[in-house]
Amino acid sequence: MPDRTVQAEISGTVWKLLVAVGDAVAAEQELLILESMKMEIPALAPDAGVVQRLLVAEGEAVGEGQPLLVISAR
Amino acid sequence: MAWKPELEELARRTAMAQAMGGEDKVRRQHEAGRLTVRERIGRLVDAGSFHEVGALSGTGEYDADGRVRKVTPANCVFGRGRIDGRAVVVVGDDFTVRGGSADASIAEKPLMAEDMAAELRLPVVRLIEGSGGGGSVKTIETKGASNLPGGIGTTRSFWRMTANLAEVPVVGLGLGSVAGLGAARLASTHFSVMTQASAMFVAGPPVVARLGQALDKQELGGADIQTHSGAVDTVVATEDEAFACARRFLSYLPSSVHGLPPVQACDDDPCRADEALLGAVPRNRRQVYKMRPIIDAVVDRGSFFEMARNFGRSIIAGLARLDGHPVLLLASDPFHYGGAWSADACQKVVRFVDLAETFHLPVVYLMDCPGFMIGLQAERTATIRHGVRAMAAINQSTVPWCTVIVRNAFGVAGAAHQPAGRFSLRYAWLSAYWGSLPLEGGIEAAYRAEIDAAPDPTARLVEIEERLNALRSPFRSAERFWVEEIIDPRRTRALLCEFARLAEPLRTPGKTNSFAIRP
Repeated sequence: MPDRTVQAEISGTVWKLLVAVGDAVAAEQELLILESMKMEIPALAPDAGVVQRLLVAEGEAVGEGQPLLVISAR
Repeated sequence: MAWKPELEELARRTAMAQAMGGEDKVRRQHEAGRLTVRERIGRLVDAGSFHEVGALSGTGEYDADGRVRKVTPANCVFGRGRIDGRAVVVVGDDFTVRGGSADASIAEKPLMAEDMAAELRLPVVRLIEGSGGGGSVKTIETKGASNLPGGIGTTRSFWRMTANLAEVPVVGLGLGSVAGLGAARLASTHFSVMTQASAMFVAGPPVVARLGQALDKQELGGADIQTHSGAVDTVVATEDEAFACARRFLSYLPSSVHGLPPVQACDDDPCRADEALLGAVPRNRRQVYKMRPIIDAVVDRGSFFEMARNFGRSIIAGLARLDGHPVLLLASDPFHYGGAWSADACQKVVRFVDLAETFHLPVVYLMDCPGFMIGLQAERTATIRHGVRAMAAINQSTVPWCTVIVRNAFGVAGAAHQPAGRFSLRYAWLSAYWGSLPLEGGIEAAYRAEIDAAPDPTARLVEIEERLNALRSPFRSAERFWVEEIIDPRRTRALLCEFARLAEPLRTPGKTNSFAIRP
């Protein structure tokens, strides 16, 4: 399986990163939290894998569909 | 036997129809991972229930003595079949004959399929591949003249395509490349499904390349594009799953607007009170929660059938059963902009409320809406125009309605939670709260003078916020009878099942006259 890019489903600001490069994550695990519409909205892992790259930093504004991070295949 | 030659010819011609576009074309269809139209029909309907109409139609070739050598069947196969024992009309494109396009079509066939569905009051399932009997530039040469779209006498199918939406359930399955008229027939449905490998577009990659867009079929009109744009409701991995989706969708609906949604026996306790509901909504209002487990906890176990999941995602829409009674279920998804109604979410509300109104489905809305979506993008997409259309759809509805306010109800969209001009049931969870405006950002505007005059403006802002929040308890609203009932969330299923039972005798068969449904 190829690496998967996790995209922002909503626009907002990166409020908190919850994972670092090299972390193993489970499907549905919260990867980072976006602040949007005054709410804290987590981005979830689509599948289990290992975090390969972080593409955004805390405080950064992101748009709908923007790549957030890359997860490897297991 | 007196009619032996004719009987043999009937058998021979029937066999030619069964052969479709020939062994070679059928093999190519299979090699591409797709079923033939006849295999599709066989897997969609109850075993052995298909009765074909017009199997002998096609283009005949004759020898010098006038004996038939070969008939290339018309590329539309249609007839009647049964799904879960209930009669339906099925109409499918045969891609093995001229790629399903117009040069091998007989326009009267798909039209009769749609007429038959309307006249016999039966659901219609369209199995769509290719241009759905639509044009090919080759037609200009074969017919010797260019077609004026809709010309003389051929517009009736377009009228019927819309008219049937107000008569019978219409399901479209996109099973391959779907373009032009085929795309229109897929989109003009109550429920559309495409397989992951399929693509749908107004015009395909070679035509689009002329715009300078070098895209393959998937990039242009794959399921990812079409389910997010809302042109197609649901994507599935396999054709068998598409057939299962069609069968399941129809199980909640009457065969036509002249009937009522079928009530089934229910083996799930209508008073089941899941303990998890009490903790489902976090106290911290900045934190979101998952709505789908809440839906599953309150409807009959396993009965929720979600549609259009990728489109207008701040609203979850689907069919469900409550104590065996089919209902249309709407629910907010706080994971998507906190549940705020974007333009596409509003379009989704219109479409599904119209579906409920057309087929006499009571509506249940599990609400958590902080308002319409705000910001530049929201203004650019005419959120307020689509918002008032959604409110119009709700207010034009006449079906029984029940709303459960799970958390937020703010602003104009906050008012769009029940039909305003008539009786409906409404419950608020303990976690519910509401207002004309959210406090955040609103205080600065409303209390500007007081804040500016304070020695410590920031402290005064916090002080005002605390003061207002104390007044915001839903119990204070209940005192004034601004909300009828505040409930323990664990009672939700029992109350919704009661609603479905109360609604049962109110459902009124017939064509709705409160609005005209559009695709």
